[in-house]
Amino acid sequence: MIDLLFFGRLGDLAAEVDRSVTCVDGRATPLAIREWLATEHQSLAKELSEPQVLVSVNKMIVKWDQPLFDGDELAFLPPVTGG
Amino acid sequence: MPLNDDDFMRYSRHLLMGDIGELGQQRLSDARVLIVGLGGLGCPVALYLVAAGVGQIGLCDPDRVDKTNLQRQVLYRTDDCGSLKVGCAKQALEALNPGVTISAFARPIDKEILADGYHLVVDCTDNLAARQIINDACYAQRIPFVSAAAVGWEGQLVAFDFGRFRSLCFNCIIDHNSAEPMMNCANSGVVGPVLGIMGSMQATTVIRLLLGYFKQHGEMTRYDGKRGQWLSMHCSRNQQCPTCGAASV
Repeated sequence: MIDLLFFGRLGDLAAEVDRSVTCVDGRATPLAIREWLATEHQSLAKELSEPQVLVSVNKMIVKWDQPLFDGDELAFLPPVTGG
Repeated sequence: MPLNDDDFMRYSRHLLMGDIGELGQQRLSDARVLIVGLGGLGCPVALYLVAAGVGQIGLCDPDRVDKTNLQRQVLYRTDDCGSLKVGCAKQALEALNPGVTISAFARPIDKEILADGYHLVVDCTDNLAARQIINDACYAQRIPFVSAAAVGWEGQLVAFDFGRFRSLCFNCIIDHNSAEPMMNCANSGVVGPVLGIMGSMQATTVIRLLLGYFKQHGEMTRYDGKRGQWLSMHCSRNQQCPTCGAASV
């Protein structure tokens, strides 16, 4: 199982999303999970496609093609740029 | 300049601390720090660093005070509307601590300002282009860079000690070709105290860097004020980074 964390305002859009997903080791990526989310949660997937959205796996910022494994925690982080 | 009698009184709460003391206060007094952006982040950063006795502070912002700023930009007063932010800020900060030398630059950040011998730069801007200019200049000059941002209920902090670490910079985390996100403070709003929290985190990080206590090069911290949650993450060098990647060396 891979645990999903939607940080900040993404949590509001992901209220209906199951926070655990089953994937084949090494086959799933953050990008693939975003595409899977788009099938049922279009507004969330649209927000995840915004520029500067970051993903972390086990508290390490990674690229969207990072292979995921059983037990990983995948976090989606919305862009924050204002000052 | 050595600490004088007034300094011993003013900074007594620092001097009481074993891990700051007279030596630490002297380090703060000898430091030159540039604050880029005097909005919701820059105001608390400037207030705390000037109050702490950082000896020389540069302020850089081309904007004028607008009534919509007053909800969160705590250096300004209603009568300041229409005036340059750097001018109002300089006046308020000099009243707070006349022992600090303050320089004001009423223009967007540029390489000339960044090359003026600062020991550390604080990024309180609201756009990626400015962050990239600051990141590249700090990396080239081997000076620390403390960056923060906020929108809505959320904040982000990341700092780089380029004097000690030559791999991993801001461009490794946020692709330099990225477009600006749709959501910003002007179109989506921001909670004032969230900026105060992130600005206070920046000021604390600056003091840690100046005193030699900072060991979290490139670690990103996120804050969600709506839910009261914090998240810290490590970042890694992008080998293709145009600033610090293998191709740039």
